[in-house]
Amino acid sequence: MFCSRIVLQCDIMAASLAQLIEEGWGDYTMQQEEGEKIPCEKAALGEDRGIIIMSPSWTQLLFQILLLLVCCRHINTKTSGATPSPLAPVPTVARSVVLKGESQNETIEVLNPIKLELECTWTGDQDKLPNITVYWMKDENEIENSRLTVQLENEPYNLKREFSIEKEENLGTYSCVFENVSKINFILAAPQIGDVREKPIVSYVGDYVVMTCKMEESKPKPSSWNWYKKNGTDEEQIFPAEEPRYKIKNEDEKTKLVVHNLTEADSGLYYCGAVYAIATTKSPVKLKVITYWEPLKPFLAILAEVIVLVAIILLCEKSQSKKDGATGNETNADQTYTLTEGENKDQEGNSSVRQRKV
Amino acid sequence: SVRRSSDDADGPDGSWGWVLVGALFVSTGLVFGLMRSLGIFFVEFVEYFEESAQTISWISSTGLAAQQFFSPLGTALCNAYNARMVVMAGGCLAGLGLILASQATCVLHLYLTMGLISGLGWGLVFTPMVATVMANFTRHRALALGLAFSGIGISSFAFNPLFQLLVEMYAWRGALLILGGLSLNIVPCGALIRPQRRSKARQKVGWTSRPYATYTLAIVLLNIGYFVPYFHLVAHGRQAGFSEYQAAFVMSAAGATDILGRVVSGWFSDMGHFRLIHLLSFWVALAGVFIMLLPVSSLSGSYAALVLISLLYGFSSGALTSLAFAAVPLIVGVERMMGALGLLQLLESATGLLGAPLSGRSTLGRCTVLCLHYRKSNLHRVSNYVCTVC
Repeated sequence: MFCSRIVLQCDIMAASLAQLIEEGWGDYTMQQEEGEKIPCEKAALGEDRGIIIMSPSWTQLLFQILLLLVCCRHINTKTSGATPSPLAPVPTVARSVVLKGESQNETIEVLNPIKLELECTWTGDQDKLPNITVYWMKDENEIENSRLTVQLENEPYNLKREFSIEKEENLGTYSCVFENVSKINFILAAPQIGDVREKPIVSYVGDYVVMTCKMEESKPKPSSWNWYKKNGTDEEQIFPAEEPRYKIKNEDEKTKLVVHNLTEADSGLYYCGAVYAIATTKSPVKLKVITYWEPLKPFLAILAEVIVLVAIILLCEKSQSKKDGATGNETNADQTYTLTEGENKDQEGNSSVRQRKV
Repeated sequence: SVRRSSDDADGPDGSWGWVLVGALFVSTGLVFGLMRSLGIFFVEFVEYFEESAQTISWISSTGLAAQQFFSPLGTALCNAYNARMVVMAGGCLAGLGLILASQATCVLHLYLTMGLISGLGWGLVFTPMVATVMANFTRHRALALGLAFSGIGISSFAFNPLFQLLVEMYAWRGALLILGGLSLNIVPCGALIRPQRRSKARQKVGWTSRPYATYTLAIVLLNIGYFVPYFHLVAHGRQAGFSEYQAAFVMSAAGATDILGRVVSGWFSDMGHFRLIHLLSFWVALAGVFIMLLPVSSLSGSYAALVLISLLYGFSSGALTSLAFAAVPLIVGVERMMGALGLLQLLESATGLLGAPLSGRSTLGRCTVLCLHYRKSNLHRVSNYVCTVC
């Protein structure tokens, strides 16, 4: 029996698996979480095929294999985030740029491990020396053994080099430099999250908040999303399983983190991470938790202003009516509603609109 | 009935009338200017309550419908009691609705508070205040209205950045609370209305009154088409190849000339060279012409033509608004004006519901959906324009 690249999701409790290890299934690595479904992956995929070596106690093992098969479900692997799949040949991508001017930037979006062939074409300089030195740089450091001295013969010079981009450290800026002066920068990065919200998201103590991250439609979708909270200088990943206060809702191109029962301690910097095979790109989201007292302050100020205004208006009127009190009560009432017949006539000049005469 | 010549400040066209114009300016700004700027909250609601844009847009639709629906109630109460009490109560309700909305835990709460309660408050404020102002003027009626209604445009321009700031500082809950407080400023506006003794005779506007019925029909038809250009302008602008910024700028410019139109037409009409009714017909006809020219100009591909036509349309539509209200007392007489206005608003609300299928769902709802869309795509300036007009 052999195991291909299938991820088995097992409902076996940790204890049984531990037993399996002891009995000769040492090749398997596992991530054990208490009482949770345990993903078991054959880690030693470096070999062509993993072959389960039968342990001495055959029958015992067989029984446990059956147990495994009974409660496991076969699931096809997607090339999930962190697992490299060296069994499939790594694709080669070529990028070729002709240098115009002194310096140029070229952005390359990398999703999966690839072999990258970069080619720089330099048309040369007017007052050129016959011999020029060329070399490659990564992130401001010259790559060893890449320096060459070449002879230009009135035609553009091609400089090619192949790079193996497998891990996050391999991303960065690769530059081909001609004569210490002209260079082309190839900026390798996983797709970056475009719209970053700079202002903090505000919410209240006891309330909940929804934080979203979106990857632009034009960019490739990440295989999954993670959320992190900044704790001091570290970023801790948030696992909703551990803390039910957090909920993560993922869709292909966007993700939402919902935090319930907020406290002021929840304020701070959060990161959403778009997971690609090569790396996880992060984008910051700031959260600020305030108490109801904050908006209450301006509200009460406005309320006070309203009350004062109304009081002033009513008091002014009262004092004025007291003044007019001497002239009698009828003058108080404003009879603007009823108009005399004379006013009706000259209201709008020669209006011929039929009006109800009072 | 006696008209006192000694008490000029309180008589028609007296200085107290202009104080009331100021009060109307502030209160319509707090009613319609506020309603127009609610778009800023909708993005927050969509995210927080995880509902669709359509569901959220119904909040403002409910508010507007409630304002129009309860208008007759407001005017009836004014006739039965007095305008001051009604407007002050309306201000309290409008504020209360927003304050309660800040505590909402589901969208239904928002419908009931921001929609129904505040809408009821707005209904008790707008029409009574308009009627009161009109009652206080004879010669300068249209100008007074024009000046007061310019408050809507000006305040919605001011409220957009203000609301944005409030939401950034206090999130939507705190912002709504503060808005509730701001709305309470309607109460002192209402307090400025001097208590009046009214003739005890019941004031009923008869449906059978032919001028009124005709006029009502005209206004109803007008309302069907009134908002359509603002909504379609952006949609068609994009089809005609203009960027969203360009299209939204056009709307914003039309909004500015709208304000200008209101004031200018009011002033001009009061000069008395022409009869108000004739001027009203003129502006309506002009607005109609410009509406018809709008698709022509946008299809022609000339941005300058589109801007010009939109400016002219904005001006004429603003111009007709001031006169549309000022015409009511001419048709039904000042005494019945209160009730007539109320009924008119009610009918406008019915039109809104009926006209919805005609222009494809509630134009206000669609407008706010557009507003939301632009906010989501982070086109803040564009969305500010769109949300202002909506």
